[in-house]
Amino acid sequence: MRKVQHRFECIQLWMQAVITHPGGVLEGVNARESRMHIDIDAREIETVITPSSAMGSVDRLEIYAKAYFARLLECLRAVFPILTRALGEELFDEFAVGYLEKYPSSSYTLNRLGENFSRYLDETRPPDESWAKVLVDLAKLEWTIGEVFDGPGSEGSRLITADVLKNIPADRRPEVRLKPAPGVRTLALRHPVLPYYNALLEGLDVLPPPSADSFLALTRRDYVVRIHELSPMEFMLLTALLEGRSVAEAVALVPIGIDSDIGALAEDVQRWFHNWSAAGFFQSIEIPSPPGAGRSVGDRESN
Amino acid sequence: MKILPRLGHPNLGLGVGLRTAHFPYLIENQPRVDWFEIITENFMDSGGRPRYVLDRIAERYPIVMHGVALSIGSADPLDFDYLTKLRNLADGVKARWVSDHLCWTGVAGRNTHDLLPVPLNEQTLAHVVARIRTVQDFLERPLVLENPSSYVTFASSTMPEWEFLARMAAETDCGLLLDVNNVYVSSINHDFDPVEYVRAIPSRRVVQCHLAGHTDCGTHAIDTHDGEVISPVWELYRLAHRLTGGVSTLLEWDAKIPPFPVVHAEVLKARDYMDAVVKTPAVAAAPSRLTTRAGSVVVPHPLAHGMVEVS
Repeated sequence: MRKVQHRFECIQLWMQAVITHPGGVLEGVNARESRMHIDIDAREIETVITPSSAMGSVDRLEIYAKAYFARLLECLRAVFPILTRALGEELFDEFAVGYLEKYPSSSYTLNRLGENFSRYLDETRPPDESWAKVLVDLAKLEWTIGEVFDGPGSEGSRLITADVLKNIPADRRPEVRLKPAPGVRTLALRHPVLPYYNALLEGLDVLPPPSADSFLALTRRDYVVRIHELSPMEFMLLTALLEGRSVAEAVALVPIGIDSDIGALAEDVQRWFHNWSAAGFFQSIEIPSPPGAGRSVGDRESN
Repeated sequence: MKILPRLGHPNLGLGVGLRTAHFPYLIENQPRVDWFEIITENFMDSGGRPRYVLDRIAERYPIVMHGVALSIGSADPLDFDYLTKLRNLADGVKARWVSDHLCWTGVAGRNTHDLLPVPLNEQTLAHVVARIRTVQDFLERPLVLENPSSYVTFASSTMPEWEFLARMAAETDCGLLLDVNNVYVSSINHDFDPVEYVRAIPSRRVVQCHLAGHTDCGTHAIDTHDGEVISPVWELYRLAHRLTGGVSTLLEWDAKIPPFPVVHAEVLKARDYMDAVVKTPAVAAAPSRLTTRAGSVVVPHPLAHGMVEVS
């Protein structure tokens, strides 16, 4: 056996390529990615990894290889418990192994391990299978719930009430910009997966829903994630406001047909603002000061 | 230079690893526990209930931070974004000290989320020493590094792990976290004498001990943290206690986690292995922020999706 002193950088690159290879250590040692760093085959593995009295070098490395997939699959199942239930553990794991190959973790935290999973499912799904599209949406919803659960929240913050908006003079309301409460999110899906999610959460045996647009808002109060179903127009308006647009700019984005009832729409908008405020979607209101005033923008919070 | 026992840190007593499964019990019962150790990365980015609960616990108990992602042995550059968050969390929870492992977790921008061993030779030692100094300067506090459990050794290693750790600590003034279960697991896997290992560790640099259960697989042992501490590991702990004079001791239980009182009772067994003749050396107030020049375990995932309401 030739004696070669490999630099530790090469050993790390080689070892990582070997233990993360989905085919196991023997395939990993022979793979191009590992041989780029240390060009050996399995017969020469003892030039890098020494055997113990009870185990050969390949078997010793296999402990790390098995642990790599076991650990990360367990983590993904913990992040997507409802999707795992919908797919079954075996199928979920198949998708997860493919995902880890295409999107290996690059973060210091396991909390981000699943951030590209719905994208991966969308990229690799059969194009005409509706059940596959449902699962993409379910993964999106479940990931977003997790982000809202452990992301920034409004606990301890003062939020505006419906009265604050009502007290602004009508002619100034179009200029108003609303600062969202931390953690408020909107989500557009191609399937109404929220009832499906809830049914699976309760352990019910249900069929995936047929295709239909679905719009949601997610927020968190008192450390509990709350999910609100929205109409399409409500979704567009709320999303625009969350992006920082003024009320006038946001309303202008809402498509209004020539036969639309403007009066009814105005009533809807008022009701939505009331509901959003009651749900704690906004933290403060920015009202441009009238011409001639010292400050250009005022900031008002609820009491 | 005279080295204070435990590098001047206090002996906090017998602590338990803080796990989300125990949150409801801890909040409701506020049990008498000497201290808690947190997995740093589980709370670093949390803005939700996990961080809220941690803050409540930190108001009542001493907290020590134990990381799994510093990757001090990696060939990749240090991640200063990570270090900034680590420093902020340490300040936020008034961490008594900050620890991690002698290991690497990934390279070329990837993270395997495992604690992988380094070749034990002069080249790696120089690399690790330089990085520890950088981290300590950035954090403005000494780092405490743990001996990992490992399953492979390298043909390029030229010294035993205990020598590497002793030289690393001497050159950087860092502290050591002596995991006696890891010593035992690695001794099975690598055919060395665990007593020789513990005796060779510079005892005054040991700031903390870890205890845990492991799995005996016949040809090897795996550090699974899923059960009680076995007798040979307790005997290593007895030796470590005698040599160090007593240090903060913590039990890790990360899989098949039983109710909190069971975990707590397991660490309290350590009292039976403390040598009565050893007097814990008196130490001046611990320096909280010193400027110095100085196994394959599934880390429990903190996310919990049980708290969702729909309107």
